[in-house]
Amino acid sequence: MEKKIGLYICKGCGIGEAINTEKIVNIAKNALRVPVVAEHEILCSADGVELIKKDIAEQGINSIVIAGCSPRVKTYEFNFPGCFVERVPVRELALWTIESQEEQQQAAEDYIKMGVIKIQKGDIPEPYKIEINKTILVVGGGVSGMTAALEAAKSGYEVVLIEKEAELGGFARKLYKVVPTDDYTKGVLGDVNLEPLINEVTSNPKIKVFTSSKIDRIEGQPGDFDVTISKNGSTETIKIGAIIQATGWKPYDAKKLAKKYGYGKFKDVVTNYEFEEIAKKNKGIIKRPSDDRVVKTVLFVQCAGQRDPEHIPYCSGMCCATTLKQARYVTDGNPDATAMVIYKDMRTPGKLEYYYKEAQNAPGMMLAKGEVIGIREEYDKLIVTVENSLLGEKVEIETEMVVLATGMVPTTKEPQDYLIGLAAAAAKGDEEKAKYIESTKKPEFILNLGYRQGPELPFLEGGFGFADSNFICFQYETRRTGIYAVGPVRQPMNMTEAKEDARGAALKAIQCIEHVANGIAVHPRAWDTSYPEPNLTKCTACKRCTEECPFGAIDEDEKGIPYYKPNRCRRCGTCMGACPERIVSFKDYSVDMIGTMLKNVSVPSEDERPRIIVLCCENDAFPATETAALNRLKLDPAVRFIQLRCLGSMNLVWIADALSRGVDGMLLLGCKFGENYQCHFAKGSELAKYRLGKVQETLDRLQLESDRVKMYELAIDEYWRVPEIINEFMEKIREIGPNPFKGF
Amino acid sequence: MDKPVKPDLQFAKEIIKAGGESLKKCYQCSTCTVVCNLSPEDKPFPRKEMLYAQWGLKEKLFKNPDIWLCHHCGDCTAYCPRGAKPGEVLGAVRKLMIKNYSPPSFLANWVADPKYLLLIFLIPLLFFLGEMALLGYFSGIEIPRGENGEMSYVAFLPPVPWIDIPFMAIAGFAVICFYLGVKKYWLDLTEGVELKRKDIYNCIYETIKDILLHKKFQLCTLNKNRSTAHLLVLYAFIGLAITTGIAAFYEWVLRWEAPYPQTNIVKIIGNISGIALVIGMLLIIANRTKNAVKQGLGSYFDWLLITIIFAVGITGFLAEILREAEVETLGYASYIAHLVFVFALFAYAPHSKMAHMVYRTTAMVFAKTAMREEVKKEEAA
Repeated sequence: MEKKIGLYICKGCGIGEAINTEKIVNIAKNALRVPVVAEHEILCSADGVELIKKDIAEQGINSIVIAGCSPRVKTYEFNFPGCFVERVPVRELALWTIESQEEQQQAAEDYIKMGVIKIQKGDIPEPYKIEINKTILVVGGGVSGMTAALEAAKSGYEVVLIEKEAELGGFARKLYKVVPTDDYTKGVLGDVNLEPLINEVTSNPKIKVFTSSKIDRIEGQPGDFDVTISKNGSTETIKIGAIIQATGWKPYDAKKLAKKYGYGKFKDVVTNYEFEEIAKKNKGIIKRPSDDRVVKTVLFVQCAGQRDPEHIPYCSGMCCATTLKQARYVTDGNPDATAMVIYKDMRTPGKLEYYYKEAQNAPGMMLAKGEVIGIREEYDKLIVTVENSLLGEKVEIETEMVVLATGMVPTTKEPQDYLIGLAAAAAKGDEEKAKYIESTKKPEFILNLGYRQGPELPFLEGGFGFADSNFICFQYETRRTGIYAVGPVRQPMNMTEAKEDARGAALKAIQCIEHVANGIAVHPRAWDTSYPEPNLTKCTACKRCTEECPFGAIDEDEKGIPYYKPNRCRRCGTCMGACPERIVSFKDYSVDMIGTMLKNVSVPSEDERPRIIVLCCENDAFPATETAALNRLKLDPAVRFIQLRCLGSMNLVWIADALSRGVDGMLLLGCKFGENYQCHFAKGSELAKYRLGKVQETLDRLQLESDRVKMYELAIDEYWRVPEIINEFMEKIREIGPNPFKGF
Repeated sequence: MDKPVKPDLQFAKEIIKAGGESLKKCYQCSTCTVVCNLSPEDKPFPRKEMLYAQWGLKEKLFKNPDIWLCHHCGDCTAYCPRGAKPGEVLGAVRKLMIKNYSPPSFLANWVADPKYLLLIFLIPLLFFLGEMALLGYFSGIEIPRGENGEMSYVAFLPPVPWIDIPFMAIAGFAVICFYLGVKKYWLDLTEGVELKRKDIYNCIYETIKDILLHKKFQLCTLNKNRSTAHLLVLYAFIGLAITTGIAAFYEWVLRWEAPYPQTNIVKIIGNISGIALVIGMLLIIANRTKNAVKQGLGSYFDWLLITIIFAVGITGFLAEILREAEVETLGYASYIAHLVFVFALFAYAPHSKMAHMVYRTTAMVFAKTAMREEVKKEEAA
């Protein structure tokens, strides 16, 4: 489509008084050759918007630069479907953050120029559309999976539900009783009663259930997955649109608790999971394993191997309520029985607090804060040593049986650990890899993805094996687009929470399907119709893009040439930043575009007027800067901000481009990374930091000081840090002195 | 380390049954200890007692003077955020403690359990009716009158043998029970504890001074009036004891038989003390009902004692007035009722709440010898 550009400059909010807009109109018309340039007193008024709409209709304008306020405001007014729109926040970046009028003018000119160049260099994206299938695959037939399947089916989608066991029901099937969800005063033990849910699932015509089945392989991309299911030796390949993984959890391996709690050494030390089995087997009568005697005293140890850096460092969230329930198995119907619970903290959030209070009132229950430091056997009794109790002294408690409240380990953990080990071995060479494969038992894989980056969901630092990617902003999302995790495989939770979770995950799967059907990015850029279009003829098969893509969107052929699966892509541009040949571009975002923009920033010749370019993340650092502007915090007039989709798309060539033109310094503002990362694209800022480590070479070539380029991590709420960071950096730059390339 | 702690929820259940229903509600926030004005700086209460009670640690509770240092002001109960009523719980623990220390335990059961309410009054009633039968009053013998022909309870039931012997017997019995109980308690309290003060008699003296001045009781905030009421009752009892002493002196030394004229010193002290007793008891009843919501109404155990003492006062005056008015049948009936309640007061003293008089005093003496209250002050200095 032929581009016709219109530039509209708003004079409202004080811009007209501070900035000589006439001068900018002339620059745009003459130097930048923009065909339509207009000013307006209040562009966001009905009259102003009408002006733009008229030009669209009459003059065929389809690429619009609006110089005025932040892209985060007036989004309703400046919405022109089918047009390529660039908003230039003159108000925030020139007016509000700069004091001197001369500098304000210079900044406004630079930003508007960059806005125009961006539009000139870009193209209107055309959505990537393929024939898609809208069936949702749910992996795991427990409470989470069944609920997700039902919710998706009720919303009108075909569902395939796959369960490895012969029957649906998952973990709930193994329970004797459940914590009731209604008024606890009416009874503290509820029946499991899975039949209604199972019947609803199996009788729903939109849900196809595969039991005793496994996934052999998943190929393709959202909207077009080919899922091979094997059942009793025969296989079947089905087209799938999106996937919900609800494979749940496994109890923590209590053998690792042998030293601390004598598990395995004493027969009457059991896990909460085994205790549930005992209760179910004997219909509520608690017989201890060693001599089959019905017990009258049971001691429950909370957080056994949990919130413990040596075992699982997190809280599983469900054990406190589970223990309170299991203690009832001991005391209910047996007035002489005693259930003792030793806890670090009793964590029963929400309505469960009432369940806890109900337990506190039960005469046969003793709930006490303390820390169990050891268990020993004396005759046929167990003696539990407790420290830090409220009694203020070390105490020993006699009991007939001990139950360890061990925690949840997601089913994704084992395959992940295996794959991490495999990758580490492979890094040491083929021999080591072969040795690892031979010596290590291969766990059962779940998804068996045919992805270049591996068959399972990727490992997440600080994620403890849970299949989540960004629990703060984007629940249910994993780092494989179109695959959503739900229930305890995502984070520890109880059955009620899992049911609620299932609805969310079903909605995410539906969103994914509908977005790919329209050729729009799934999330977080849920409006974006652009996608990476590599010029593969120049590809050197260096594999950087396939390795660095945070979402495993790029596969490779036998020669190592990347093979992009656009529906898996989140449009962060990490591949664009990674590519040393600079062959990856989006229609409206490219290396050349940003490069040209920064090359066109004015570089004052005076030594005392340095020029700094700030490349910042548009999701966090830039909104933080705008908030700083909103709070009228003043910034050094030397800085020019350029927004990137993600700092992961930062290409090193830009640094060379800018510095060789005489720009005095480059500042990178990215999201926090590491265990508590805030990057929308998981790894973007981390990768930028990694690439920056290699910028030294470029700077050495230019004979420039390495301190001229610096990266900071900034969270969206830390707007007050923006002037601090810039001042700190400016101080350093002034110390180093002007860039010798200035003026060349 | 000490021997293993054995949580005994059966004992916790006993406390619950004895009036500590709210015990399980405690979540150990320690607000009670903070608001308690009686709690010493060093080993404060009643937070830890609530925990002992929840765990059913009988020994720790019983061998601990703090359950008696508590005067049941009810400040803790009023401020408890969870409605765990520490005051009521400690009351229940004290009841079980009395039962544990005062022999014989069957008597303690009788007093503690409403089931035996009738029995405990029936015993003295039958006893005095039996005396009347022996004197032939039910078989036609007319009740004799005084020397001047007036109505006389001394003529009705001559002190020797009908009154003095049985009452001296039960008083002796009570003293023996108390002696055994206190001895056991003292040994338990002092077991393994170094007594910092050796001047035990001074400690006793100081304690009695504290009691007579109600120094501790006055520290209560919620329920300040209770201290006045209790003080009134205490002095009434002292007055009545003096009355009894003078009467005994008249009878045994001067051989001067009752009734005495109202102008006689013995009658004046007796009547004033009696009035103080009735007013004091009325105040106690009023305070308890007024503060029932905040502080707790009290248990059966409490009310039994209140009823007995109140009834002693009321029946005493009734008998006196009816005698002066020469209302024979009702007068004698009131006198018998009076004897029944005085009997109950004495005979069950080691097992009823009346025992607090002895056990609390013992605990207070112990606290003085162990210098529990002084520890923190010394450290601070």
